[in-house]
Amino acid sequence: MRQLLIDLFSFEDRPRFEKLGFLIFIIIVLVFPWIVKSAYGRAVMIKFLLFALFGLGWNLIGGYGGQVDLGQAKNVGFGAYATGLMMLWWGTPFWVTVPVGMVIAAAESFGVAYPMFRLKGHYFAIATLCVALVWKELFVFWDWTGGARGVEIPIRPTPNFTYMQFGSPIHYHYFIFFLFITQLLFMNWFRKSKLGYECQAVRENEDVAASLGINVYRTKVIAYTITGGLGAVGGSFMTVYYLYIDPDFVMPLDLSILIAMTVMVGGAGSIWGPIIGAALLIPLDMYLGAWLGAQKRLGIDFMIYALIMMVIAAREPKGIWGIIERVRKKRME
Amino acid sequence: MLLEVKNLVKEFGGLVANSDISLEVEEGRIVGLIGPNGAGKTTLFNCIAGYYRPTRGKIFFGGEEITGWPPHHVAKIGIARTFQGMKTLPNLTVEENVMIGAFCRTHERERARRDAHEVMELLAIREEANALPKELPIALQKRIELARALATKPRLLMLDEIAAGLNPLETKEILQTLKRIKEERGLTLFLTEHVMEFIMTLSEMVMVMAAGRKIAEGPPEEVAREPKVIEAYLGERYAQG
Repeated sequence: MRQLLIDLFSFEDRPRFEKLGFLIFIIIVLVFPWIVKSAYGRAVMIKFLLFALFGLGWNLIGGYGGQVDLGQAKNVGFGAYATGLMMLWWGTPFWVTVPVGMVIAAAESFGVAYPMFRLKGHYFAIATLCVALVWKELFVFWDWTGGARGVEIPIRPTPNFTYMQFGSPIHYHYFIFFLFITQLLFMNWFRKSKLGYECQAVRENEDVAASLGINVYRTKVIAYTITGGLGAVGGSFMTVYYLYIDPDFVMPLDLSILIAMTVMVGGAGSIWGPIIGAALLIPLDMYLGAWLGAQKRLGIDFMIYALIMMVIAAREPKGIWGIIERVRKKRME
Repeated sequence: MLLEVKNLVKEFGGLVANSDISLEVEEGRIVGLIGPNGAGKTTLFNCIAGYYRPTRGKIFFGGEEITGWPPHHVAKIGIARTFQGMKTLPNLTVEENVMIGAFCRTHERERARRDAHEVMELLAIREEANALPKELPIALQKRIELARALATKPRLLMLDEIAAGLNPLETKEILQTLKRIKEERGLTLFLTEHVMEFIMTLSEMVMVMAAGRKIAEGPPEEVAREPKVIEAYLGERYAQG
């Protein structure tokens, strides 16, 4: 128990400049809403934290596990709909719906992981993409999910913590920050755990991993299952933050790609990578949105993403974090 | 008998890579497996370690049948292996490489770290603990692979061409290292090698394979005189002369 707490909270093994950077980051996020008063600025910050949260979860399978998963939006959807529908039907408190969403997403991930991990590399990536799209279409097609019209969350007259509805974005800011921190601490535990090491061994070389007693297939399935559960948390947040969800909003292909991209740009397989990636891409995404207009943005945002993706793949597969690490190593020498 | 292979056959389509191989490896011995390129040595290793499923035949380890077991089960029961060529985990530090091996026997990180450092000490790579394997010279990478395999606490260590790509001095070093760890850990070694001198000095027992068959077996000096072995390596004319 004591060891678990230490593993969750300790960043002792990281170099000092990382701990310092992290501390500065925390302070900036904590004081942010008191300095930035504009609604737009605050909305960008909340979206950044949301995607950093998504990235942290995706990093488990995509970064540490090295399995490119292009279907994380389905898990976001499961979380969002679990919260949305349970609130709509039974008025279930938010904090009950979160674990339910996580369990549903994890269970679904576990179920599809078995056949999917018969595939490797690109084929696996395509399979994840297809599964996510199938779920999205099902959620459009079904009546009980509200179909394409989506789900509207009944608005509570007074701000309250049971349904996590507040009048001001400041509350949502600290609320998403709390979710983000819990997942960061979980990932901090994970990266030091036996499972974390096993995932990395599988990413580096499956034959070697197996020769060291690691069940490669089982490791992938477990990693994918946990990633599913983690993805649902952000979905639940989206429901109470936007108060309206539909399949096009919470489970589209763009979302899956953007989640994967933030991590790859920031640095897959490092604890800070998703945060760096989200800090870069989310403001960019919002800016492009504002600049190009909501009119589907003419696909220009996709072109820019594709360009970033190509540069990362060709030049720096370990993303921005890879560059930082390299520079630091050079300096030390 | 620690390891026993009975009438093992491995076919790939029409190609017979291992044809009716039977062999025994006694506990505490160093057994060498030699043979020209394409003799089927690596295929045999892969069958034993669970990477290939034998077409026919049986494999026993410590009296238990392990035929067709997946590699991670084979590792757990106490067979560790290294790979031909270099197969480190390139983006993980040396310490992490070895720790992942140690995790084979424990769930606790600190325990794994302790075990890893013990093995790294034994192989004199402790100073490189925080380096990435890809930044290190080949000889050290070989040691990392060896350390990682040893960290799984095997009873049998199978080495596939561990001396390939090393210069004579480095070869001598690894030879001494192997002898030392064998003594200290009470291991059984089963190794293939191209470098004849290496395997002949190290092994107490040598098996010779050629074209998928086992053609000779015995103490190194006897095997080296056997006409069939000379023929397999140098051609028929040398054997007669």
